[in-house]
Amino acid sequence: MEKTPVAELINVKKRIGKTTIIDDISLKVYPGEVFGFLGPNGAGKTTTIRMMVGLMDITEGEILIHNNSVEKNFEKAIAHIGGIIENPEMYKFLSGYDNLVHYARMAPEKVTKERILEVVKLVGLEKNIKNKVGSYSLGMRQRLGLAQALLHSPSLLILDEPTNGLDPAGIREIRNYIRKIAHEENLAVFVSSHLLAEMQRMCDQIGIIQNGKLISVESVGDFVGSCSKKNVRFQVSPISEAVKVLGAPYDSLITGQGDDYIDMTVSHEHIAEINKLLVLNDVDVYSIVTLQSTLEEKFLEITGGGQ
Amino acid sequence: MAKLLKLIQNENMKLYKRLGTWIMIGIIIIAVLGIGVFSKFFMDSGENTNWQQRLEAENLQLERQLEESPFQSAGEAYVTKQIAINNYRIDQDIPPLHSQSLWGFMIDTTNLTGIIALFAIVIAGGMVASEFSWGTIKLLLIRPVSRTKIILSKYITTILFALFSMVSLFLFSFLIGSVFFGLEGAEDPYLVYNEGEVRERNMISHIIGLIGFNSVDLLMMVTLAFMISTVFRSSSLAIGVSIFLLFTGPQVTQLLSSYDWAKYVLFANTNLQQYTNGTPLVEGMTMTFSIIVLLVYFILFTLTTWVVFKKRDVAA
Ligand SMILES: Nc1ncnc2c1ncn2[C@@H]1O[C@H](COP(=O)(O)OP(=O)(O)OP(=O)(O)O)[C@@H](O)[C@H]1O
Ligand SMILES: [Mg+2]
Repeated sequence: MEKTPVAELINVKKRIGKTTIIDDISLKVYPGEVFGFLGPNGAGKTTTIRMMVGLMDITEGEILIHNNSVEKNFEKAIAHIGGIIENPEMYKFLSGYDNLVHYARMAPEKVTKERILEVVKLVGLEKNIKNKVGSYSLGMRQRLGLAQALLHSPSLLILDEPTNGLDPAGIREIRNYIRKIAHEENLAVFVSSHLLAEMQRMCDQIGIIQNGKLISVESVGDFVGSCSKKNVRFQVSPISEAVKVLGAPYDSLITGQGDDYIDMTVSHEHIAEINKLLVLNDVDVYSIVTLQSTLEEKFLEITGGGQ
Repeated sequence: MAKLLKLIQNENMKLYKRLGTWIMIGIIIIAVLGIGVFSKFFMDSGENTNWQQRLEAENLQLERQLEESPFQSAGEAYVTKQIAINNYRIDQDIPPLHSQSLWGFMIDTTNLTGIIALFAIVIAGGMVASEFSWGTIKLLLIRPVSRTKIILSKYITTILFALFSMVSLFLFSFLIGSVFFGLEGAEDPYLVYNEGEVRERNMISHIIGLIGFNSVDLLMMVTLAFMISTVFRSSSLAIGVSIFLLFTGPQVTQLLSSYDWAKYVLFANTNLQQYTNGTPLVEGMTMTFSIIVLLVYFILFTLTTWVVFKKRDVAA
């Protein structure tokens, strides 16, 4: 990719007292890309996001937004960002609309009334926008949170667990919406979550964080799922014959074997090829089961398995 | 500057869209009305018809006191002043102030600045701390606006509330006073005794002056509450401490007045009327001294507020 990153974290560290909460994180977020920040509870997602939006000091390292340092050039850097940090708490005694007016007055450039109404429509809050936020459901507050983040047309959207508390329909809606604005309006989106499945459906890149360390960054690949690798279990008989047949061409892909099965890490099109090879060599194939994707495996390993 | 105005507009919207704020303003109005009703209908109205005789009798008594038991210098000055003013009233036919006249009523209601101070402290105490307890501070601070401007807009809004309440108090008590007691005697001056001579002063400027003197206390306590609210992010602590000090501070300082260092205590200096209309708490204190002490406290409070708000991590 030749694009320049919208956000860049360079060896970022955060210490509070003697404990290191964020330990040397570096990453880049590009326009048109949804970057998923995945980690178990207490991994340091919110802390990282707080540093990105200037709510917390950065102990070491640097965060750049369009090449403006968040610490040294806060107002320039933050002008590009729209965000939700943890739950989007709003003024309950104000209407949804007044809340948006409040944030519009603080925007880097003038936000017109039309723009406010446009965003309201975008998040589907037309019917309730004149009501007091105190009467909103959690889902409605999340939508208002999203509206507030989008008001000034930012080029980087930072969302901390945006689907927290939404019902399945709401989750799907927000997810689709996030993908749409990223890809159609070339927005960079940085979104955190502790739910892998959600991240896989929403993101182009996923970074896994644990105990304040960034463990890996991977592309999610195309959705239809052709290039990402999977763990697949082939139930076969006789097993010795199967190992012999597969051993030569696919040896490096075999990850384990049992009395009646072979586990392999393969890509989508490999599965059919392997099946054909087995059948042509008189090995009976009883089942082909996809276990977990590599990402899932990694994540489960971190979170201690079992979901 | 345009940004700061918009921030102040925001803070005002948040303040006046809350019911509590209007309840406070309602209480002030009801209190003015209550004092008016009480003075008009429940107070003895015969008190002022024979004021000439009453003042003459009072003067006789004061003069006897002066001869019989020598006062300390301060007491003597007070009695001399009282006698001179009483004589001036009798000579010039200017009746003394009483609660059943426009000016007397308005002077009575200036005591309500105490309630306004209380309310302003409650608002100051919530200004920063509430944003933390509501969780709204996060979305407030991730805007292209400096934290300095945000805290300034909050402080200005608090002071504007106090100012707005003071002006409402003044106008409303003028309105109630003139409706209940009429404009009779409205041209009566306020009398001051200065260097052996009685002088006439404009009554309105005297009343505004009274409100002004009471505001010094208010301003300092509001600024203190605002500081505690910012430093400890707890509105109950800010309100509790400030109101406690508002009520006990002056008394405690009075007890300490025999020590010389007591003159550096904030509360020894908030009552500037001690120089215009009384004796200084600790000997040797002057108006200039008090103003400097107040200024030092003010700068200390605001500087602490600013530094803490600007520096601190927002982890709430
Ligand atoms: N102000 C603080 N002082 C001390 N430790 C803190 C502070 N804030 C966060 N931590 C610690 O930092 C770690 C990371 O917290 P953080 O809120 O960033 O996690 P998270 O990834 O957002 O978790 P979750 O999924 O629960 O939201 C936690 O172990 C937490 O206890
Ligand atoms: Mg979190």
